[in-house]
Amino acid sequence: MTQKNIAVPVPRRKGRSKGDTSEGWLAFWLLMPAALLLCGVLLFPMLTTIRDSFFFNKLTEPFNGQPFVGLKNYVQMFGDPRFGTSLRNTLFFAVLTVGGSFLVGIPMALAAHNPSRVRGIARVALLLPWAMPPVMTGLIFAWLFNAQYGVFNDILVRLHIVQAPLLWLSTPGLAVVAMVVTIVWKTSSFVALIVLGGLQGIPRELTEAAEVDGATRVQSFFRIILPLLAPSLAVAFIFRSISAVQVFDIPYTFIQQAPAQGLLETLGVYIYRTSIEFLDFGYAATLSVALFAVSLAVTAIYVRFVRDGAST
Amino acid sequence: MSGETAAPERLSAGDKAVRWAGLTALIIGGFFPLVWMILTSLKTEAELQKFPVQYLPGALDAANYARVFSEQPFARFFFNSMTVSLLSTLLCIAVAVPAAYALARLQVWGRSALLTAVVAFSMFPVVSLLVPLFRLFRGLDLLNSYPALILPYAALSLPVAILTLVAFFSAIPRDLEAAAMIDGTSRVGALWRVVLPLSAPGVVTAALLIFVNSWNEFLLALSFNTKLDMRTVSVGVTLYQGEFAFPWPLIAAAVVIATIPVVALIAIFQRRFVAGLTAGGVKA
Repeated sequence: MTQKNIAVPVPRRKGRSKGDTSEGWLAFWLLMPAALLLCGVLLFPMLTTIRDSFFFNKLTEPFNGQPFVGLKNYVQMFGDPRFGTSLRNTLFFAVLTVGGSFLVGIPMALAAHNPSRVRGIARVALLLPWAMPPVMTGLIFAWLFNAQYGVFNDILVRLHIVQAPLLWLSTPGLAVVAMVVTIVWKTSSFVALIVLGGLQGIPRELTEAAEVDGATRVQSFFRIILPLLAPSLAVAFIFRSISAVQVFDIPYTFIQQAPAQGLLETLGVYIYRTSIEFLDFGYAATLSVALFAVSLAVTAIYVRFVRDGAST
Repeated sequence: MSGETAAPERLSAGDKAVRWAGLTALIIGGFFPLVWMILTSLKTEAELQKFPVQYLPGALDAANYARVFSEQPFARFFFNSMTVSLLSTLLCIAVAVPAAYALARLQVWGRSALLTAVVAFSMFPVVSLLVPLFRLFRGLDLLNSYPALILPYAALSLPVAILTLVAFFSAIPRDLEAAAMIDGTSRVGALWRVVLPLSAPGVVTAALLIFVNSWNEFLLALSFNTKLDMRTVSVGVTLYQGEFAFPWPLIAAAVVIATIPVVALIAIFQRRFVAGLTAGGVKA
Protein backbone atom coordinates (compact mmCIF):
# COMPACT_ATOMS: atom_id res chain seq x y z
CA MET A 1 0.00 0.00 0.00
CA THR A 2 1.45 3.32 -0.98
CA GLN A 3 1.32 6.05 1.61
CA LYS A 4 0.98 9.53 0.27
CA ASN A 5 1.81 12.59 2.26
CA ILE A 6 -1.49 14.32 2.75
CA ALA A 7 -2.12 17.05 5.26
CA VAL A 8 -4.71 15.06 7.11
CA PRO A 9 -4.27 13.88 10.69
CA VAL A 10 -3.22 10.26 10.60
CA PRO A 11 -5.18 8.04 12.94
CA ARG A 12 -2.31 7.26 15.27
CA ARG A 13 -1.97 4.68 17.98
CA LYS A 14 0.72 3.94 20.47
CA GLY A 15 2.40 1.97 17.69
CA ARG A 16 4.33 -1.11 18.55
CA SER A 17 5.03 -2.45 15.09
CA LYS A 18 4.81 -1.42 11.47
CA GLY A 19 1.56 -3.34 11.22
CA ASP A 20 -0.22 -0.82 13.43
CA THR A 21 0.61 2.17 11.25
CA SER A 22 -0.60 0.49 8.10
CA GLU A 23 -3.74 -0.62 9.91
CA GLY A 24 -4.38 2.98 10.87
CA TRP A 25 -4.05 4.02 7.23
CA LEU A 26 -6.31 1.22 6.10
CA ALA A 27 -8.95 2.28 8.61
CA PHE A 28 -8.60 5.87 7.42
CA TRP A 29 -9.22 4.92 3.79
CA LEU A 30 -12.10 2.61 4.70
CA LEU A 31 -13.83 5.33 6.75
CA MET A 32 -13.13 8.12 4.28
CA PRO A 33 -16.04 7.62 1.83
CA ALA A 34 -18.60 7.39 4.63
CA ALA A 35 -17.20 10.50 6.29
CA LEU A 36 -17.29 12.42 2.99
CA LEU A 37 -20.90 11.47 2.31
CA LEU A 38 -22.09 12.24 5.84
CA CYS A 39 -20.22 15.54 6.05
CA GLY A 40 -21.03 16.71 2.53
CA VAL A 41 -24.73 15.88 2.49
CA LEU A 42 -25.72 16.09 6.18
CA LEU A 43 -23.18 17.96 8.32
CA PHE A 44 -22.38 20.81 5.91
CA PRO A 45 -26.08 21.61 5.20
CA MET A 46 -26.81 21.42 8.93
CA LEU A 47 -24.04 23.93 9.66
CA THR A 48 -25.40 26.12 6.86
CA THR A 49 -28.80 26.01 8.54
CA ILE A 50 -27.30 27.13 11.84
CA ARG A 51 -25.51 29.99 10.04
CA ASP A 52 -28.70 30.96 8.14
CA SER A 53 -30.60 31.25 11.41
CA PHE A 54 -28.67 34.47 12.15
CA PHE A 55 -29.50 36.06 8.80
CA PHE A 56 -32.55 37.66 7.26
CA ASN A 57 -33.25 35.81 4.02
CA LYS A 58 -36.73 36.02 2.58
CA LEU A 59 -37.15 35.39 -1.12
CA THR A 60 -40.40 37.39 -1.22
CA GLU A 61 -38.55 40.50 0.01
CA PRO A 62 -35.44 40.57 -2.19
CA PHE A 63 -35.22 44.37 -1.73
CA ASN A 64 -34.25 43.79 1.92
CA GLY A 65 -31.14 41.81 0.96
CA GLN A 66 -29.76 39.15 3.23
CA PRO A 67 -28.30 41.06 6.18
CA PHE A 68 -26.89 39.57 9.37
CA VAL A 69 -29.53 40.10 12.05
CA GLY A 70 -27.96 38.41 15.06
CA LEU A 71 -30.54 36.87 17.36
CA LYS A 72 -33.49 38.70 15.82
CA ASN A 73 -34.94 35.53 14.28
CA TYR A 74 -34.74 33.84 17.68
CA VAL A 75 -36.48 36.75 19.36
CA GLN A 76 -39.16 36.56 16.66
CA MET A 77 -39.50 32.81 17.26
CA PHE A 78 -40.12 33.09 20.97
CA GLY A 79 -42.81 35.70 20.34
CA ASP A 80 -44.40 33.70 17.52
CA PRO A 81 -47.68 32.10 18.67
CA ARG A 82 -47.63 29.75 15.70
CA PHE A 83 -44.23 28.42 16.82
CA GLY A 84 -45.63 27.90 20.33
CA THR A 85 -48.66 26.09 18.97
CA SER A 86 -46.70 23.86 16.59
CA LEU A 87 -44.16 23.00 19.31
CA ARG A 88 -46.97 22.15 21.73
CA ASN A 89 -48.70 20.05 19.06
CA THR A 90 -45.43 18.27 18.31
CA LEU A 91 -44.74 17.40 21.94
CA PHE A 92 -48.37 16.46 22.53
CA PHE A 93 -48.39 14.10 19.54
CA ALA A 94 -44.99 12.73 20.53
CA VAL A 95 -46.17 11.79 24.02
CA LEU A 96 -49.41 10.20 22.77
CA THR A 97 -47.93 8.37 19.78
CA VAL A 98 -44.79 7.11 21.53
CA GLY A 99 -46.92 5.87 24.44
CA GLY A 100 -49.48 4.38 22.07
CA SER A 101 -46.86 2.62 19.96
CA PHE A 102 -45.55 0.86 23.09
CA LEU A 103 -49.03 -0.13 24.27
CA VAL A 104 -49.71 -1.69 20.86
CA GLY A 105 -46.19 -2.77 19.90
CA ILE A 106 -45.37 -4.88 22.97
CA PRO A 107 -48.46 -7.12 22.61
CA MET A 108 -47.70 -7.34 18.86
CA ALA A 109 -44.21 -8.60 19.62
CA LEU A 110 -45.54 -11.12 22.15
CA ALA A 111 -48.07 -12.39 19.60
CA ALA A 112 -45.43 -12.73 16.88
CA HIS A 113 -42.77 -14.22 19.18
CA ASN A 114 -44.09 -17.72 19.68
CA PRO A 115 -43.81 -20.25 16.88
CA SER A 116 -47.08 -21.00 15.15
CA ARG A 117 -48.38 -22.15 11.83
CA VAL A 118 -49.14 -18.62 10.68
CA ARG A 119 -45.73 -17.31 11.67
CA GLY A 120 -44.83 -16.10 8.18
CA ILE A 121 -48.09 -14.21 7.73
CA ALA A 122 -47.75 -12.78 11.24
CA ARG A 123 -44.28 -11.49 10.40
CA VAL A 124 -45.53 -9.81 7.22
CA ALA A 125 -48.39 -8.25 9.23
CA LEU A 126 -45.80 -7.02 11.72
CA LEU A 127 -43.51 -5.53 9.06
CA LEU A 128 -46.19 -4.07 6.79
CA PRO A 129 -47.04 -0.90 8.74
CA TRP A 130 -43.34 -0.21 9.26
CA ALA A 131 -42.56 -0.62 5.55
CA MET A 132 -45.58 1.26 4.23
CA PRO A 133 -44.67 4.69 2.85
CA PRO A 134 -45.76 7.28 5.43
CA VAL A 135 -47.47 9.49 2.84
CA MET A 136 -49.52 6.55 1.68
CA THR A 137 -50.32 5.62 5.27
CA GLY A 138 -51.64 9.14 5.68
CA LEU A 139 -53.76 8.86 2.53
CA ILE A 140 -55.11 5.43 3.48
CA PHE A 141 -56.15 6.51 6.96
CA ALA A 142 -57.64 9.77 5.74
CA TRP A 143 -59.82 7.53 3.57
CA LEU A 144 -60.63 5.13 6.43
CA PHE A 145 -61.64 8.14 8.54
CA ASN A 146 -63.65 9.78 5.73
CA ALA A 147 -66.87 11.17 7.19
CA GLN A 148 -69.25 10.03 4.44
CA TYR A 149 -67.71 6.93 2.96
CA GLY A 150 -65.14 5.93 5.58
CA VAL A 151 -65.22 2.36 6.84
CA PHE A 152 -64.50 3.35 10.45
CA ASN A 153 -67.70 5.38 10.63
CA ASP A 154 -69.59 2.56 8.96
CA ILE A 155 -68.41 0.05 11.56
CA LEU A 156 -69.15 2.42 14.44
CA VAL A 157 -72.67 3.07 13.14
CA ARG A 158 -73.38 -0.60 12.46
CA LEU A 159 -72.26 -1.51 15.98
CA HIS A 160 -74.46 1.32 17.32
CA ILE A 161 -71.49 2.89 19.07
CA VAL A 162 -72.36 6.20 17.45
CA GLN A 163 -75.73 7.39 16.13
CA ALA A 164 -74.51 9.29 13.10
CA PRO A 165 -71.21 9.32 11.19
CA LEU A 166 -68.51 11.37 12.91
CA LEU A 167 -66.76 14.22 11.11
CA TRP A 168 -63.33 12.85 11.96
CA LEU A 169 -61.14 15.21 9.98
CA SER A 170 -63.11 18.41 10.38
CA THR A 171 -63.77 18.24 14.13
CA PRO A 172 -60.60 19.42 15.89
CA GLY A 173 -60.63 16.88 18.75
CA LEU A 174 -61.49 13.98 16.46
CA ALA A 175 -58.85 14.98 13.90
CA VAL A 176 -56.25 14.68 16.65
CA VAL A 177 -57.57 11.22 17.57
CA ALA A 178 -57.48 10.17 13.89
CA MET A 179 -53.90 11.31 13.46
CA VAL A 180 -52.74 9.66 16.68
CA VAL A 181 -54.36 6.38 15.59
CA THR A 182 -52.65 6.63 12.20
CA ILE A 183 -49.19 7.33 13.61
CA VAL A 184 -49.58 4.62 16.25
CA TRP A 185 -50.54 2.11 13.54
CA LYS A 186 -47.52 3.10 11.50
CA THR A 187 -44.96 3.10 14.31
CA SER A 188 -46.00 0.23 16.59
CA SER A 189 -44.22 -2.15 14.21
CA PHE A 190 -40.89 -0.54 14.96
CA VAL A 191 -41.37 -1.00 18.70
CA ALA A 192 -42.55 -4.56 18.09
CA LEU A 193 -39.43 -5.39 16.03
CA ILE A 194 -37.04 -4.11 18.68
CA VAL A 195 -38.98 -5.86 21.45
CA LEU A 196 -39.05 -9.06 19.38
CA GLY A 197 -35.25 -8.87 19.21
CA GLY A 198 -35.15 -8.53 22.99
CA LEU A 199 -37.57 -11.43 23.48
CA GLN A 200 -35.45 -13.71 21.30
CA GLY A 201 -32.50 -13.07 23.58
CA ILE A 202 -34.35 -14.28 26.68
CA PRO A 203 -33.78 -17.99 27.34
CA ARG A 204 -37.03 -19.90 27.59
CA GLU A 205 -35.68 -21.74 30.66
CA LEU A 206 -36.09 -18.59 32.74
CA THR A 207 -39.84 -18.34 32.33
CA GLU A 208 -40.20 -22.11 32.52
CA ALA A 209 -38.36 -22.15 35.84
CA ALA A 210 -40.63 -19.40 37.13
CA GLU A 211 -43.68 -21.38 36.11
CA VAL A 212 -42.37 -24.46 37.87
CA ASP A 213 -42.07 -22.27 40.95
CA GLY A 214 -45.75 -21.43 40.60
CA ALA A 215 -45.69 -18.04 38.88
CA THR A 216 -48.58 -17.27 36.55
CA ARG A 217 -47.87 -16.17 32.98
CA VAL A 218 -48.81 -12.62 33.87
CA GLN A 219 -46.48 -12.63 36.87
CA SER A 220 -43.58 -14.03 34.89
CA PHE A 221 -44.18 -11.40 32.19
CA PHE A 222 -44.03 -8.49 34.62
CA ARG A 223 -41.38 -9.88 36.97
CA ILE A 224 -39.00 -11.59 34.53
CA ILE A 225 -39.58 -10.71 30.89
CA LEU A 226 -40.24 -6.98 31.23
CA PRO A 227 -37.12 -6.23 33.31
CA LEU A 228 -34.96 -8.22 30.86
CA LEU A 229 -36.48 -6.24 28.00
CA ALA A 230 -35.49 -2.93 29.58
CA PRO A 231 -32.47 -2.27 27.30
CA SER A 232 -34.49 -2.99 24.13
CA LEU A 233 -37.36 -0.87 25.37
CA ALA A 234 -34.99 2.02 26.08
CA VAL A 235 -33.49 1.85 22.58
CA ALA A 236 -36.95 1.71 21.01
CA PHE A 237 -38.10 4.57 23.23
CA ILE A 238 -35.32 6.91 22.22
CA PHE A 239 -35.53 6.21 18.49
CA ARG A 240 -39.32 6.48 18.57
CA SER A 241 -39.11 9.78 20.45
CA ILE A 242 -36.74 11.30 17.91
CA SER A 243 -38.84 10.28 14.93
CA ALA A 244 -41.99 11.43 16.76
CA VAL A 245 -40.54 14.89 17.33
CA GLN A 246 -39.61 15.18 13.64
CA VAL A 247 -42.88 13.76 12.26
CA PHE A 248 -43.80 15.36 8.94
CA ASP A 249 -45.32 13.14 6.24
CA ILE A 250 -48.48 11.97 8.02
CA PRO A 251 -49.49 15.40 9.43
CA TYR A 252 -48.73 16.89 6.00
CA THR A 253 -51.12 14.49 4.23
CA PHE A 254 -53.79 14.92 6.90
CA ILE A 255 -53.67 18.70 6.73
CA GLN A 256 -54.41 18.52 2.99
CA GLN A 257 -57.79 17.01 3.82
CA ALA A 258 -58.58 18.37 7.25
CA PRO A 259 -60.16 21.74 7.83
CA ALA A 260 -59.10 21.35 11.49
CA GLN A 261 -55.59 22.36 10.50
CA GLY A 262 -54.16 24.35 13.38
CA LEU A 263 -54.25 21.44 15.79
CA LEU A 264 -52.43 19.14 13.37
CA GLU A 265 -49.56 21.46 12.47
CA THR A 266 -46.34 20.00 13.87
CA LEU A 267 -43.03 21.83 14.02
CA GLY A 268 -41.83 19.87 10.97
CA VAL A 269 -44.84 21.00 8.94
CA TYR A 270 -44.42 24.60 10.12
CA ILE A 271 -40.76 24.59 9.05
CA TYR A 272 -41.72 23.17 5.66
CA ARG A 273 -44.34 25.85 5.13
CA THR A 274 -42.06 28.64 6.32
CA SER A 275 -39.38 27.59 3.86
CA ILE A 276 -41.35 26.41 0.84
CA GLU A 277 -44.60 28.39 1.03
CA PHE A 278 -43.48 31.64 2.68
CA LEU A 279 -39.93 31.37 1.25
CA ASP A 280 -38.60 32.75 4.54
CA PHE A 281 -35.32 30.84 4.62
CA GLY A 282 -33.77 32.74 7.52
CA TYR A 283 -36.65 32.19 9.90
CA ALA A 284 -37.14 28.60 8.70
CA ALA A 285 -33.50 27.97 9.59
CA THR A 286 -34.13 29.33 13.09
CA LEU A 287 -37.14 27.03 13.51
CA SER A 288 -34.99 24.17 12.22
CA VAL A 289 -32.36 24.85 14.84
CA ALA A 290 -35.12 24.69 17.47
CA LEU A 291 -36.27 21.31 16.12
CA PHE A 292 -32.69 20.09 16.04
CA ALA A 293 -32.24 21.23 19.64
CA VAL A 294 -35.28 19.21 20.70
CA SER A 295 -33.88 16.17 18.86
CA LEU A 296 -30.47 16.69 20.42
CA ALA A 297 -31.99 16.81 23.89
CA VAL A 298 -33.46 13.36 23.22
CA THR A 299 -30.12 12.18 21.79
CA ALA A 300 -28.31 13.36 24.89
CA ILE A 301 -30.58 11.19 27.00
CA TYR A 302 -29.82 8.30 24.63
CA VAL A 303 -26.05 8.72 24.80
CA ARG A 304 -26.23 8.98 28.55
CA PHE A 305 -28.32 5.84 28.73
CA VAL A 306 -25.91 3.92 26.50
CA ARG A 307 -22.96 4.96 28.67
CA ASP A 308 -24.78 4.05 31.87
CA GLY A 309 -25.96 0.81 30.31
CA ALA A 310 -22.42 -0.09 29.24
CA SER A 311 -20.99 0.55 32.71
CA THR A 312 -23.48 -1.60 34.56
CA MET B 1 -31.30 -17.39 16.32
CA SER B 2 -33.64 -19.31 18.58
CA GLY B 3 -37.35 -19.72 18.10
CA GLU B 4 -37.54 -21.14 14.60
CA THR B 5 -36.83 -24.70 15.71
CA ALA B 6 -38.03 -24.41 19.31
CA ALA B 7 -39.82 -27.45 20.67
CA PRO B 8 -43.62 -27.07 20.74
CA GLU B 9 -44.89 -26.11 24.16
CA ARG B 10 -47.78 -27.73 25.89
CA LEU B 11 -50.38 -25.03 26.35
CA SER B 12 -53.63 -24.90 28.22
CA ALA B 13 -56.79 -24.14 26.25
CA GLY B 14 -56.92 -20.65 27.78
CA ASP B 15 -53.35 -19.84 26.75
CA LYS B 16 -54.07 -21.07 23.25
CA ALA B 17 -57.14 -18.86 23.00
CA VAL B 18 -55.16 -15.80 24.12
CA ARG B 19 -52.38 -16.57 21.68
CA TRP B 20 -54.73 -17.00 18.74
CA ALA B 21 -56.64 -13.86 19.65
CA GLY B 22 -53.35 -11.95 19.67
CA LEU B 23 -52.23 -13.39 16.34
CA THR B 24 -55.61 -12.71 14.74
CA ALA B 25 -55.59 -9.11 15.95
CA LEU B 26 -52.02 -8.66 14.67
CA ILE B 27 -52.80 -10.07 11.23
CA ILE B 28 -56.08 -8.19 10.76
CA GLY B 29 -54.60 -4.97 12.13
CA GLY B 30 -51.54 -5.20 9.90
CA PHE B 31 -53.31 -6.09 6.69
CA PHE B 32 -56.66 -4.33 6.96
CA PRO B 33 -55.72 -0.82 5.72
CA LEU B 34 -53.99 -2.20 2.62
CA VAL B 35 -56.78 -4.71 1.95
CA TRP B 36 -59.29 -1.87 2.22
CA MET B 37 -57.28 0.13 -0.29
CA ILE B 38 -57.30 -2.83 -2.71
CA LEU B 39 -61.10 -3.19 -2.33
CA THR B 40 -61.54 0.56 -2.83
CA SER B 41 -59.38 0.51 -5.94
CA LEU B 42 -61.72 -2.03 -7.55
CA LYS B 43 -64.91 -0.06 -6.90
CA THR B 44 -66.60 2.43 -9.16
CA GLU B 45 -67.38 5.98 -7.98
CA ALA B 46 -71.07 4.99 -7.76
CA GLU B 47 -70.33 1.97 -5.56
CA LEU B 48 -68.20 4.15 -3.36
CA GLN B 49 -70.92 6.66 -2.61
CA LYS B 50 -73.31 4.19 -1.03
CA PHE B 51 -74.12 4.38 2.64
CA PRO B 52 -73.99 2.12 4.52
CA VAL B 53 -70.68 1.25 2.92
CA GLN B 54 -70.65 -1.46 0.27
CA TYR B 55 -67.79 -3.72 1.39
CA LEU B 56 -67.06 -5.71 -1.74
CA PRO B 57 -66.72 -4.29 -5.25
CA GLY B 58 -69.50 -5.32 -7.63
CA ALA B 59 -67.36 -6.49 -10.50
CA LEU B 60 -63.62 -7.00 -10.69
CA ASP B 61 -62.80 -4.10 -12.91
CA ALA B 62 -59.27 -2.82 -13.42
CA ALA B 63 -60.42 0.47 -14.94
CA ASN B 64 -58.98 2.52 -12.06
CA TYR B 65 -55.59 0.90 -12.57
CA ALA B 66 -55.63 1.82 -16.24
CA ARG B 67 -56.55 5.41 -15.35
CA VAL B 68 -53.62 5.63 -12.89
CA PHE B 69 -51.27 5.22 -15.85
CA SER B 70 -53.25 7.32 -18.34
CA GLU B 71 -53.93 10.38 -16.13
CA GLN B 72 -50.36 10.77 -14.88
CA PRO B 73 -47.08 9.35 -16.19
CA PHE B 74 -47.15 6.81 -13.37
CA ALA B 75 -44.95 4.28 -15.17
CA ARG B 76 -42.31 6.98 -15.35
CA PHE B 77 -42.75 7.75 -11.59
CA PHE B 78 -42.29 4.06 -10.90
CA PHE B 79 -39.15 3.88 -13.02
CA ASN B 80 -37.76 6.99 -11.29
CA SER B 81 -38.40 5.55 -7.82
CA MET B 82 -36.86 2.23 -8.80
CA THR B 83 -33.74 3.87 -10.23
CA VAL B 84 -33.26 6.22 -7.30
CA SER B 85 -33.91 3.55 -4.65
CA LEU B 86 -31.65 0.91 -6.24
CA LEU B 87 -28.78 3.31 -6.86
CA SER B 88 -28.95 4.87 -3.40
CA THR B 89 -28.97 1.36 -1.91
CA LEU B 90 -25.89 0.42 -3.94
CA LEU B 91 -24.05 3.62 -3.05
CA CYS B 92 -24.92 3.37 0.64
CA ILE B 93 -23.86 -0.29 0.91
CA ALA B 94 -20.62 0.38 -1.00
CA VAL B 95 -19.76 3.13 1.48
CA ALA B 96 -21.14 1.49 4.64
CA VAL B 97 -19.40 -1.89 4.31
CA PRO B 98 -15.81 -0.57 4.50
CA ALA B 99 -16.70 1.92 7.24
CA ALA B 100 -18.48 -0.70 9.34
CA TYR B 101 -15.61 -3.13 8.86
CA ALA B 102 -13.10 -0.54 10.07
CA LEU B 103 -15.25 0.29 13.10
CA ALA B 104 -15.88 -3.36 13.95
CA ARG B 105 -12.42 -4.79 13.36
CA LEU B 106 -9.54 -2.32 13.09
CA GLN B 107 -7.86 -0.37 15.82
CA VAL B 108 -9.45 2.96 15.03
CA TRP B 109 -8.48 5.98 17.03
CA GLY B 110 -11.56 7.42 18.75
CA ARG B 111 -13.76 4.47 17.83
CA SER B 112 -16.50 5.11 20.37
CA ALA B 113 -16.54 8.81 19.53
CA LEU B 114 -16.96 7.91 15.85
CA LEU B 115 -19.83 5.54 16.66
CA THR B 116 -21.51 8.23 18.73
CA ALA B 117 -21.08 10.64 15.81
CA VAL B 118 -22.72 8.10 13.50
CA VAL B 119 -25.69 7.87 15.86
CA ALA B 120 -25.84 11.67 16.08
CA PHE B 121 -26.08 11.88 12.28
CA SER B 122 -29.27 9.86 12.38
CA MET B 123 -30.82 12.60 14.54
CA PHE B 124 -30.67 15.34 11.91
CA PRO B 125 -34.20 16.42 11.01
CA VAL B 126 -34.57 16.06 7.24
CA VAL B 127 -36.69 19.20 7.05
CA SER B 128 -33.72 21.23 8.42
CA LEU B 129 -31.59 20.03 5.52
CA LEU B 130 -34.19 20.98 2.93
CA VAL B 131 -33.20 24.58 2.17
CA PRO B 132 -29.39 24.21 2.32
CA LEU B 133 -29.47 21.04 0.21
CA PHE B 134 -31.83 22.74 -2.23
CA ARG B 135 -29.39 25.63 -2.63
CA LEU B 136 -26.40 23.28 -2.85
CA PHE B 137 -28.03 21.20 -5.58
CA ARG B 138 -29.25 24.28 -7.42
CA GLY B 139 -25.67 25.55 -7.39
CA LEU B 140 -24.42 22.23 -8.74
CA ASP B 141 -27.27 22.17 -11.28
CA LEU B 142 -28.50 18.87 -9.84
CA LEU B 143 -32.17 19.73 -9.26
CA ASN B 144 -34.53 17.48 -11.24
CA SER B 145 -31.90 14.78 -11.51
CA TYR B 146 -31.42 11.36 -9.94
CA PRO B 147 -28.29 12.33 -7.94
CA ALA B 148 -30.35 15.05 -6.17
CA LEU B 149 -32.21 12.23 -4.44
CA ILE B 150 -29.62 9.44 -4.49
CA LEU B 151 -26.99 11.40 -2.55
CA PRO B 152 -29.25 12.45 0.35
CA TYR B 153 -30.99 9.07 0.50
CA ALA B 154 -27.67 7.24 0.70
CA ALA B 155 -26.41 9.67 3.35
CA LEU B 156 -29.62 9.57 5.42
CA SER B 157 -29.59 5.75 5.50
CA LEU B 158 -25.86 5.51 6.11
CA PRO B 159 -25.93 5.71 9.94
CA VAL B 160 -28.42 2.88 10.34
CA ALA B 161 -26.62 0.82 7.66
CA ILE B 162 -23.28 1.26 9.43
CA LEU B 163 -24.73 0.40 12.85
CA THR B 164 -26.47 -2.71 11.49
CA LEU B 165 -23.32 -3.90 9.71
CA VAL B 166 -21.06 -3.21 12.70
CA ALA B 167 -23.31 -5.47 14.79
CA PHE B 168 -23.05 -8.23 12.16
CA PHE B 169 -19.30 -7.94 11.53
CA SER B 170 -18.60 -7.98 15.27
CA ALA B 171 -20.46 -11.28 15.58
CA ILE B 172 -18.08 -13.06 13.18
CA PRO B 173 -15.16 -14.82 14.92
CA ARG B 174 -11.85 -13.06 14.32
CA ASP B 175 -10.11 -16.44 13.99
CA LEU B 176 -11.73 -16.97 10.60
CA GLU B 177 -10.13 -13.85 9.17
CA ALA B 178 -6.84 -14.59 10.90
CA ALA B 179 -6.81 -18.03 9.29
CA ALA B 180 -7.49 -16.54 5.87
CA MET B 181 -4.73 -13.98 6.35
CA ILE B 182 -2.25 -16.66 7.41
CA ASP B 183 -3.20 -18.44 4.21
CA GLY B 184 -1.93 -15.42 2.35
CA THR B 185 -4.84 -13.09 1.68
CA SER B 186 -4.74 -9.43 2.63
CA ARG B 187 -7.06 -7.76 5.12
CA VAL B 188 -9.24 -6.45 2.34
CA GLY B 189 -9.17 -9.95 0.82
CA ALA B 190 -10.32 -11.37 4.16
CA LEU B 191 -13.15 -8.84 4.28
CA TRP B 192 -14.21 -9.72 0.75
CA ARG B 193 -13.83 -13.51 0.91
CA VAL B 194 -14.59 -14.34 4.56
CA VAL B 195 -16.43 -11.60 6.45
CA LEU B 196 -18.77 -10.43 3.72
CA PRO B 197 -20.15 -13.86 2.72
CA LEU B 198 -20.68 -14.76 6.39
CA SER B 199 -22.52 -11.52 7.10
CA ALA B 200 -24.74 -11.77 4.03
CA PRO B 201 -27.90 -11.65 6.22
CA GLY B 202 -26.68 -8.37 7.67
CA VAL B 203 -25.95 -6.91 4.25
CA VAL B 204 -29.38 -7.99 3.00
CA THR B 205 -31.03 -6.44 6.05
CA ALA B 206 -29.16 -3.19 5.59
CA ALA B 207 -29.92 -3.12 1.86
CA LEU B 208 -33.64 -3.64 2.50
CA LEU B 209 -33.65 -0.88 5.11
CA ILE B 210 -32.03 1.55 2.69
CA PHE B 211 -34.30 0.55 -0.19
CA VAL B 212 -37.48 0.93 1.87
CA ASN B 213 -36.33 4.29 3.28
CA SER B 214 -35.51 5.57 -0.20
CA TRP B 215 -38.70 4.26 -1.80
CA ASN B 216 -40.82 5.88 0.92
CA GLU B 217 -39.11 9.27 1.16
CA PHE B 218 -41.44 12.14 0.38
CA LEU B 219 -40.18 15.56 1.49
CA LEU B 220 -36.97 15.79 -0.55
CA ALA B 221 -38.59 14.14 -3.57
CA LEU B 222 -41.43 16.66 -3.36
CA SER B 223 -39.07 19.63 -3.17
CA PHE B 224 -36.05 18.75 -5.35
CA ASN B 225 -37.54 16.98 -8.35
CA THR B 226 -40.45 19.15 -9.36
CA LYS B 227 -40.55 18.33 -13.07
CA LEU B 228 -43.40 15.95 -13.78
CA ASP B 229 -41.22 13.33 -15.46
CA MET B 230 -38.74 13.37 -12.56
CA ARG B 231 -41.37 12.71 -9.85
CA THR B 232 -41.19 9.58 -7.68
CA VAL B 233 -44.18 7.43 -6.73
CA SER B 234 -44.52 8.75 -3.18
CA VAL B 235 -45.12 12.21 -4.64
CA GLY B 236 -46.96 10.78 -7.67
CA VAL B 237 -49.80 9.32 -5.57
CA THR B 238 -50.63 12.79 -4.26
CA LEU B 239 -51.02 14.22 -7.77
CA TYR B 240 -54.44 12.67 -8.43
CA GLN B 241 -56.25 14.83 -5.94
CA GLY B 242 -57.82 17.97 -7.33
CA GLU B 243 -58.37 21.22 -5.50
CA PHE B 244 -61.65 20.02 -3.95
CA ALA B 245 -62.10 16.49 -5.25
CA PHE B 246 -60.51 13.29 -4.06
CA PRO B 247 -61.00 10.55 -6.67
CA TRP B 248 -60.56 7.85 -4.03
CA PRO B 249 -60.73 4.71 -6.23
CA LEU B 250 -58.01 6.22 -8.39
CA ILE B 251 -55.86 7.28 -5.43
CA ALA B 252 -56.37 3.81 -3.92
CA ALA B 253 -55.19 2.13 -7.11
CA ALA B 254 -52.11 4.37 -7.24
CA VAL B 255 -51.30 3.64 -3.59
CA VAL B 256 -51.64 -0.10 -4.20
CA ILE B 257 -49.26 -0.02 -7.16
CA ALA B 258 -46.78 2.19 -5.31
CA THR B 259 -46.77 -0.16 -2.32
CA ILE B 260 -46.17 -3.35 -4.34
CA PRO B 261 -42.33 -3.26 -4.29
CA VAL B 262 -42.02 -2.83 -0.51
CA VAL B 263 -44.73 -5.40 0.19
CA ALA B 264 -43.07 -7.86 -2.19
CA LEU B 265 -39.67 -7.38 -0.55
CA ILE B 266 -41.18 -7.79 2.92
CA ALA B 267 -43.01 -10.97 1.89
CA ILE B 268 -39.93 -12.52 0.27
CA PHE B 269 -37.40 -11.62 2.93
CA GLN B 270 -39.61 -11.52 6.06
CA ARG B 271 -37.83 -14.34 7.86
CA ARG B 272 -34.31 -13.14 7.27
CA PHE B 273 -35.32 -9.53 7.71
CA VAL B 274 -36.91 -9.89 11.15
CA ALA B 275 -33.88 -11.90 12.30
CA GLY B 276 -31.52 -9.29 10.85
CA LEU B 277 -33.33 -6.28 12.25
CA THR B 278 -33.69 -7.73 15.69
CA ALA B 279 -30.07 -8.90 15.77
CA GLY B 280 -28.69 -5.60 14.47
CA GLY B 281 -31.09 -3.10 15.97
CA VAL B 282 -30.75 -3.84 19.62
CA LYS B 283 -26.99 -4.21 19.80
CA ALA B 284 -26.41 -1.00 17.87
